[in-house]
Amino acid sequence: MKKDLNPYVFILPSCCVLAAVVIFPTIFLWYVSFTNYDLAVGWEKKQIVGFANYFFLFLEDKDFWHSLRISLVFMVFVVAIEFWLGLFVALLFHRRIRGKRLWMSFLIIPMVITPSIIALIWKLMLNTEYGVLNFLLASLSLPKINWLGYENALWSIMLVDIWEYTPFVALILYAGLQSLPQEPYEAVVIDGASPLQIFYYFTLPLLRPVILIALLLRAIDSLRIFDIVYGLTQGGPGNATELMSLHIYRLGFRHTNWIGRASANSILLLFIITLLTTVLLRILRKSEVKEGTT
Amino acid sequence: MRLKRKLFVQTVILDILIAIVLFLAVFPFFWTLLTSLKTRAQALDPSVWLFTPTLENYRAIFQKRDLMMYIKNSFIVVTFTTLIALFLGTLTAYGLARYRFRARENLAYWMISLRMLPAMAVIIPFFLLGRFLGLLDTHLLLILVYLSFNIPFTVWMVRGFIEDVPQELEEAAWVDGCSRFQGLRWIVLPLIAPGLAATAIFCVIQSWNEFVFAFFLTSFNARTVPTTVTFFLSVLGVIWGEMAAVGIVATLPVLIFALLVQKYLVRGLTFGAIKS
Repeated sequence: MKKDLNPYVFILPSCCVLAAVVIFPTIFLWYVSFTNYDLAVGWEKKQIVGFANYFFLFLEDKDFWHSLRISLVFMVFVVAIEFWLGLFVALLFHRRIRGKRLWMSFLIIPMVITPSIIALIWKLMLNTEYGVLNFLLASLSLPKINWLGYENALWSIMLVDIWEYTPFVALILYAGLQSLPQEPYEAVVIDGASPLQIFYYFTLPLLRPVILIALLLRAIDSLRIFDIVYGLTQGGPGNATELMSLHIYRLGFRHTNWIGRASANSILLLFIITLLTTVLLRILRKSEVKEGTT
Repeated sequence: MRLKRKLFVQTVILDILIAIVLFLAVFPFFWTLLTSLKTRAQALDPSVWLFTPTLENYRAIFQKRDLMMYIKNSFIVVTFTTLIALFLGTLTAYGLARYRFRARENLAYWMISLRMLPAMAVIIPFFLLGRFLGLLDTHLLLILVYLSFNIPFTVWMVRGFIEDVPQELEEAAWVDGCSRFQGLRWIVLPLIAPGLAATAIFCVIQSWNEFVFAFFLTSFNARTVPTTVTFFLSVLGVIWGEMAAVGIVATLPVLIFALLVQKYLVRGLTFGAIKS
């Protein structure tokens, strides 16, 4: 056979583009995070300030800690609730149903709608005076809720996120359930195990990699969230819903133009997400290997 | 007999639960559709469920708010970023699927990790670089920036599809004198065409929905559809009908596309880690 092409002929073009649009900007971000660049002052007048921006965030910026805390609270709650609800929905569909494909297509609606538009839709429904949710509450003679007020705003945003992404978790878990092998089940059913036992001792462990992938994807995406919060509350009222990415927005673009400090915050967000991504990739790699050997 | 009855009751309960779940999933969309067809006064009254629909809001968003410009911008950005990502991504996917070399898996997994990149973390360098290069508020900048997630996505999806094609088919073609590229073009591509189409559709949906980059990197000329939310941030409760109409117009194309790729959805959501 004639001489084969080098694999990099195929790979290099993409890598060059990605280097230009990802690697270079990330390095640039590191650089900016060590300067005191302020949009209002100008690029020429910036100075290298070492770790000052990081110290500012850690020592002086109480809102940074606030945003970190509520981001983690947000992540833990939405991931936990979406997991249990998603598992519930996946199990509901995991049986013979007429027209299943059609029914499942309804489930797709929340997760493919443009997220910023989702914010609009829910803003419509959550309004205290004219929103349909309070109308429904009132018709059940329950008191009205100030959904986007200071106390409730973060929970309302969780509610929207749960609405949007529970189908996502459900679909992944459903696919996992469908791909489980049938033989072990037949054996344990003969042994007389109860459905609950079967689920706990067989289904859940077999489903573990799929569950982990779904949960980590959700955890990562819940930390990246920006559009829904921006559309609904823009981080407010006060800083009630100022999650990490909203805090970056406020530092760099909204109230102040401290691009240096905002960059340092961006680096920290990147760091947290990289940690989670590393775990996710390890699991993906492991499940890939297993697939390859069987 | 009793057992049969118990099973029947069980099935009915499960069906009812599914109905509730589907109702909850669809209701916000349905409510938006309803609101978009109301008059201004009706839109503020959630007790109105039956009424004579009006298209007034749709007329308003196209005439007063120039929604067509936003759609046009979205269309340009989405089309080009998808085509470029598909071309470059497929080449890379082929390299990763058909060659064995040392850095292969590391490279592949590095690419997935780009999918996790938080937009708000990289928006600052994009914004500054865009400013230095004079590219802010151009389609070109958005097209390039969107490649950062579309290329990795395409690589992962298409790699899976190519690996499903037996290599023997290509080898036979090589014996007949085909080059690598010709083998890819005439043997592999036709076989993975449905997968490619699905991948393209996913890229379209992702790019169409993207908000952060569009919001910060454009100001007037290259504004895309998701940024229209900014019309409705300050004016509370006044133009709800228009708000809903924008929602429906922005959402419909994505929904239709998503239904076309339902079969590949899980694969797309998990980068091919779960194939069903």
